[in-house]
Amino acid sequence: MRVGLFVTCLVDSMRPRIGFATIKLLEAAGCEVIVPEHQTCCGQPGYNSGDRESAKKLALKFISEFESFEYVVIPSGSCAGMIRVHYPELFGDDPALFARFTALGKRTYELTDFLANIAKLEKAPGNFNGTITYHDSCSGLRELDVYKQPRALLATMPQVALNEMVESTTCCGFGGTFSVKYGEISTRMADNKCQHITDTHADAIVGGDLGCLLNIEGRMRRNGDNTTRVLHVAEVLSGMDKER
Amino acid sequence: MNAREKILGKIRDAQLRSNANNGASVENTLSIAQHLAQHPRGPQPPVIGDLLKNFKERCLKLSSDVLETTNRGDVPNLVARYLNEKNLPTQGVCWPLLSALPWREAGLDIQSRPSNSQDAVGVTGAFCAIAETGTLMTLSGKETPPSTSLLPETHVAILEPSRIVASMEDAWELVRKEFKQPPRVVNFISGPSRTADIEMTVTMGAHGPYRVLVIIAPLT
Amino acid sequence: MQNNSINFKKQATIKLADVRLQNALSRLQSRFVGGRAAVISEINDFQETRTAAAAVRDMALNDLEHWLLQFEQQATARGAVIHWAENGDDVNRIVAEIAALHGVRTAAKSKSMVSEECGLNDALEKAGVKVMETDLGEYILQLAHEAPSHIVAPVVHKNKEEIADLFADHHHTPRKTGIAELCREAREVLRPVFLNADMGISGGNFMIAETGSVLIVTNEGNGRLVTTLPRVHVAITGIEKVVPTLEDVTTLLRLLPRSATGQSITNYISLLTGTKSSEDHDGPEHFHIILLDNGRSSILGSDMQKMLRCIRCGACMNHCPVYQNIGGHAYGWVYPGPMGSILTPLLGGLEASPDLPNASTLCGACGAVCPVRIPLPDLLRNLREKQMERGMKTRQETFLLKSWAWLALHPKIYSFSTKIGVRLMKMMGGNKKLIHSLPGAPGWTNGRDFPAPSGQTFRELYQQGKHS
Repeated sequence: MRVGLFVTCLVDSMRPRIGFATIKLLEAAGCEVIVPEHQTCCGQPGYNSGDRESAKKLALKFISEFESFEYVVIPSGSCAGMIRVHYPELFGDDPALFARFTALGKRTYELTDFLANIAKLEKAPGNFNGTITYHDSCSGLRELDVYKQPRALLATMPQVALNEMVESTTCCGFGGTFSVKYGEISTRMADNKCQHITDTHADAIVGGDLGCLLNIEGRMRRNGDNTTRVLHVAEVLSGMDKER
Repeated sequence: MNAREKILGKIRDAQLRSNANNGASVENTLSIAQHLAQHPRGPQPPVIGDLLKNFKERCLKLSSDVLETTNRGDVPNLVARYLNEKNLPTQGVCWPLLSALPWREAGLDIQSRPSNSQDAVGVTGAFCAIAETGTLMTLSGKETPPSTSLLPETHVAILEPSRIVASMEDAWELVRKEFKQPPRVVNFISGPSRTADIEMTVTMGAHGPYRVLVIIAPLT
Repeated sequence: MQNNSINFKKQATIKLADVRLQNALSRLQSRFVGGRAAVISEINDFQETRTAAAAVRDMALNDLEHWLLQFEQQATARGAVIHWAENGDDVNRIVAEIAALHGVRTAAKSKSMVSEECGLNDALEKAGVKVMETDLGEYILQLAHEAPSHIVAPVVHKNKEEIADLFADHHHTPRKTGIAELCREAREVLRPVFLNADMGISGGNFMIAETGSVLIVTNEGNGRLVTTLPRVHVAITGIEKVVPTLEDVTTLLRLLPRSATGQSITNYISLLTGTKSSEDHDGPEHFHIILLDNGRSSILGSDMQKMLRCIRCGACMNHCPVYQNIGGHAYGWVYPGPMGSILTPLLGGLEASPDLPNASTLCGACGAVCPVRIPLPDLLRNLREKQMERGMKTRQETFLLKSWAWLALHPKIYSFSTKIGVRLMKMMGGNKKLIHSLPGAPGWTNGRDFPAPSGQTFRELYQQGKHS
């Protein structure tokens, strides 16, 4: 399977290791991974802030780079949701583009969804040993139905024990620009999430979206918790979860 | 132009706009007439098994009490026992069509008149009942004043078991069959009145009855 | 009611610090969210029922003129009088005129959010009519001179101690703290109000075009009392609340209480048609129905029309993590939470509520629970787009959004800038790899650190790997 990898702008800048972890997992699942060199951002920050015009331009850039792949895989439910659900909506008034974006959307997958349901990865190569708790990011969960997939993949790792937190599906308060515009509300939401995480006594909080993870880690460290690890699911599954 | 014309004019303009947007046809009038004539039903959860059994189970979930008898003449005794067990006053009112039951013989003071706010017990029948939710349906009328089920602190409803239907849709069908149009008020009653306004704590007996006793008793 | 949503941010800050409110909100969450989850499983075709409910609402909205005229005709034939009101002032004037016509001095009112839109109580008091709220929550708020903070549980923000104080003050009775005792006291105070009122005022959850009926959904029984005992009944509702048939409303009724309070059905559902007949012992002699527009007709036919499907269950706010943390008052008008963040700007003007469309993470919880499938996150985003189009965003935000987009469209410059950016941020992070203060984003770092990046971008590392 020939897979185009979109690493996302956040992973590119803030935690490149997740990109390499993704490549390792896709290759372990037998995929040929290609990373288009000029990829940047899917346009979601602007789209969710009302800048539809810019989002359309970035969607056109995206399709020009990724349309040729059999599959497009993204280590983020939020960006994958943008491409699968919202790109076609952006071109609702242009039947030809709408059809192309719809077709592209159908071939675009969030990483764990792809590994579990398309590439059918039987055993994750990682060797994480400890208790984790899983945060379900909003877009992946509600736009792409990603809930069982990461849990199924983590279950192939014998040393991983999953201890579910309460309200794992409640938003962590990130919300892109929301986290800056409404910092106090966002912080409170992150606080609630951190409390639920702490209550599980897990060694690591794991999730599929770096935005949420930065938000959760940021609040956790500010609160003085320097031990609970905050990891992307790709890092855990691939075994690339050691200290940076 | 008065408010009515202005509002209806705005609605008409808006619909022209949206129909133009949606490419809706002008054949709506036909479908409207059809819809009214056929009043199609939406999806309904199936009521599996015996209607009476379902109804009783749902009643209990709504915090209604349920008693059963095969002898209608025994109803006043059941009511008396129920009230005595709970140390409740035995004075009240009933719908006129229930006045022939032997209330006095059971030691109850049940008068056949509309209720005032002083009455402790209100005895009613029911037009029908709905198994899906454990709901009583009452229709207002000369013989069936709605305040009887509302003002007293205890509401007793006597239900003919053959009048239990599966769903609210079935109940509407019964109204259509037996009356040309709904009476002034159709009340669906599902257990004692309640409120959770203070600290989300469910408390029975808000402004209506504190308790509802359903007695299932066949007419014959 | 005065629209105070311009102060959303300031109010939210106050509410976040209000410990009593926070405790109250956690109760709301456990009861309504947990309750809903438990009872929706009773409907095996829950998703299909949502689709059918949305279709019922769309059918009504797509031919709203027809259904309203049908409703008017049927209701009038049964003796009701229909009034049309363009705005809240019209409603207030019409109710005052009805009161004058029938010599009304006292009115007993059941809960109506539409009447809150109008500020009806104050207007009636000015017209010399004494109005008593009879829904327990609304009654408490009337004593406290406060606005509702939730459309279903209006007094959720108060605890029983505050209510006990209010009752002791106003009823001149010994202070009670048991919830059942408080409820009984309110019942005893309000019973004479029902019995003596000249006029009952209610809302209307739905109007049925087929029969000309108004349908109301209540638990306490006060809705039944105010529509049964007084000789005049006035029902006030929005023009969008019409549905075609009794079967159609039944589909909605399967979802409304389940979505609202986690009940399979509410205690009372009353279908009110026309006036008391000569044979009836009770019921109003005069039945007036007021249909309020107040901006609704301008939503019809627009790209926001789906908002008019709303059946006011409150599920969106119960499940909204923003509402759960700040409560309803911060939103500044009658309707809080996600539905309010859309309705308030639509009915009161986008410029009066700049924050509301933005004060959501677009997490999608609201849209997922909406019984009539209103795509609430999409509508919120749509309002943000309108803010952008109309130049209502701050210059700073527009600049940042446009700059980011420009950068992302120019991969080489993007690559260069991000390389510099991540190196700077790595330095800022120091040994602990945490940035404690980000210039330009105090909203983030006031409450959180920012985990510092490793100092090189994925793209540069990937290129290095390919070449080595």
